[in-house]
Amino acid sequence: MITGEIVSNTILKDSYYKVEFFVPEICAETQPGQFVHVKIANLRDRILRRPFSISDINENGILTVIYKVVGEGTEVLAGLPAGTVCDLMGPLGKPFSLPRENELPVIVAGGYGSAATYLLAKRSPVKGILLLGARSEADLILTDKFAAAGFDVRLATQDGSHGHKGLVTELIPPLLKEKSGQKIRFYGCGPTPMLMALSKMLQKNGFGDGEVSLDHLMCCGVGACFACVVKIKTDNEDGWRYARTCKEGPVFTADEVYTDGE
Amino acid sequence: MADLTVDLGKLTLKNPVMTASGTFGYGFEYKDYFDLRRLGAVVVKGIAMKPSHGNPTPRVAETHGGMLNAIGLQGPGVEKFLHGDEYMPFLRKSGAVVIVNIWGKSIEEYRDVAARLEAEKEDISALEINISCPNIKEGGVAFGTDLNLAHQVVAKVREVTSLPLITKLSPNVTKIADFARAVADAGSDMVSLINTITGMAININTRRPKIANLTGGLSGPAVKPVAVRMVYEVSKAVKIPVIGMGGIMDGDDAVEFMLAGASAVAVGTAIFADPYAPLKVIDGINAYLERQGCKSVKEIIGGMIR
Ligand SMILES: Cc1cc2nc3c(=O)[nH]c(=O)nc-3n(C[C@H](O)[C@H](O)[C@H](O)COP(=O)(O)OP(=O)(O)OC[C@H]3O[C@@H](n4cnc5c(N)ncnc54)[C@H](O)[C@@H]3O)c2cc1C
Ligand SMILES: Cc1cc2nc3c(=O)[nH]c(=O)nc-3n(C[C@H](O)[C@H](O)[C@H](O)COP(=O)(O)O)c2cc1C
Ligand code: FES
Repeated sequence: MITGEIVSNTILKDSYYKVEFFVPEICAETQPGQFVHVKIANLRDRILRRPFSISDINENGILTVIYKVVGEGTEVLAGLPAGTVCDLMGPLGKPFSLPRENELPVIVAGGYGSAATYLLAKRSPVKGILLLGARSEADLILTDKFAAAGFDVRLATQDGSHGHKGLVTELIPPLLKEKSGQKIRFYGCGPTPMLMALSKMLQKNGFGDGEVSLDHLMCCGVGACFACVVKIKTDNEDGWRYARTCKEGPVFTADEVYTDGE
Repeated sequence: MADLTVDLGKLTLKNPVMTASGTFGYGFEYKDYFDLRRLGAVVVKGIAMKPSHGNPTPRVAETHGGMLNAIGLQGPGVEKFLHGDEYMPFLRKSGAVVIVNIWGKSIEEYRDVAARLEAEKEDISALEINISCPNIKEGGVAFGTDLNLAHQVVAKVREVTSLPLITKLSPNVTKIADFARAVADAGSDMVSLINTITGMAININTRRPKIANLTGGLSGPAVKPVAVRMVYEVSKAVKIPVIGMGGIMDGDDAVEFMLAGASAVAVGTAIFADPYAPLKVIDGINAYLERQGCKSVKEIIGGMIR
């Protein structure tokens, strides 16, 4: 556990906020896809920490989290002024693996998923493609940052206001045609139904390796309580086991994800 | 520094603070946070004969001042616990005082787990019998809510082990003191309480239960007054040492349990908020003793003045 002072905490867009913590110890060890477990200061009567993906880090010890206000904890977090000190645990969890030189990284994201994969894009040796899905314009975040990192950004919105009208996974088949012959490595982060659809596509068609980052309710964040489990295919009697997303994940290979719910 | 050692019958601990079963994994998960030897004891998550998946998800829900959980005792089973790297072999090397929490779906399973641990009991300091899980054979009645079954479980385990036995009592009964008497009579050397209080929460927007299992066990600060009352009642009813828990967040909370009659305490849910909570509880107890001019923590056990 590390105390981290909030350096800045500002609205990014709509219900998305960007908070920067000064935590050099965590920054020094962070790999893309890992998260911090934050005890939100001033969150009265609530005992649990909140997990947030590490969106970015820099050499000055500043760690960035992009979060959406969805409930009491994130609401209180949004009101914390610079100078407030929070307790952070991290970096926690298993990171994404970086794409190899001969692989084209394709990130499939929704919700805060683009924030959670930004460091991956930044560190990727090959500039790839971001497929970003959203209900409407309000949920399209960090597109400019990905573009600046050299990524080709393609959008899908359910209301058709930006890019393809429909689901983000519908952008995959045309992309495969366009890039046929290239080795692709998929990365998924976003709403569970999207990740299940992506994993299912990869399992069925085998057109590339993939990794997905799963989001589950957490308590301890270190593998001690078994609150955060998800069904993972395993070579045992039942064919599956409950794996802890905080310690054995949040990143799992698309192959091992159990796509029939949960 | 006041003298923090406590005597729990055959078991002496360097300080009265343990971890509550299920909230500290198998110690391994917290190895990078602090030296486990600083704790009075590490109580590991419940162990049964076979590995078990546990309950469907979601398994937890945060509530005001606490949380509900229905983890469903996911675990590796006794063989893996005894020999897997992240379990007993790690704990042996760590030098921690280890208490193994056990459970079963039948009386025979409790006995068999205890016998298996007895056979390799080196570095195991005690067994804690969790009688809060349902007895599959008797149609799901929890061992911990039936006086007769509670007695039988403890008596059967007693037959196969010479390790100190702690029986962990369920608060989901009308007269918890009766259960303490029953298990003491069956040969339990100590009792620990409370396990979680059965509760429920519903998401009003989706109209679905917040926990897949429907009901879950409430823990955290919200349960503390109930736990203190029960520790008081039990310590009046039996002569064996009582280990108190339920919502302990700091040293002052722990002192309250000890004044009510507990000889030792366990810290559970607080660890999720702060992995160092058990250490802070130890420091907090010491600070209280110094404030009060006590030389030993033993002076405050059962020390409430009426
Ligand atoms: C590995 C991981 C990475 C995450 N990264 C981000 C991120 O980068 N940006 C972001 O905006 N959100 C992220 N989330 C989701 C974020 O943790 C939740 O939105 C947040 O906990 C909600 O807290 P609250 O108090 O506002 O909501 P409430 O609904 O009031 O919270 C009640 C309880 O439910 C838990 N909870 C609610 N929603 C979620 C959820 N989606 N996932 C996990 N727990 C939840 C809370 O932690 C709390 O214990 C991540 C979740 C995980 C597991
Ligand atoms: C997530 C979780 C898992 C638990 N698992 C167990 C368990 O395996 N065996 C057991 O005897 N008690 C278990 N408990 C109960 C605790 O050990 C303790 O009795 C209870 O939570 C009250 O203490 P607290 O308020 O300090 O957490 C669990 C509690 C929680 C919150
Ligand atoms: S949150 Fe406790 S095991 Fe993952």
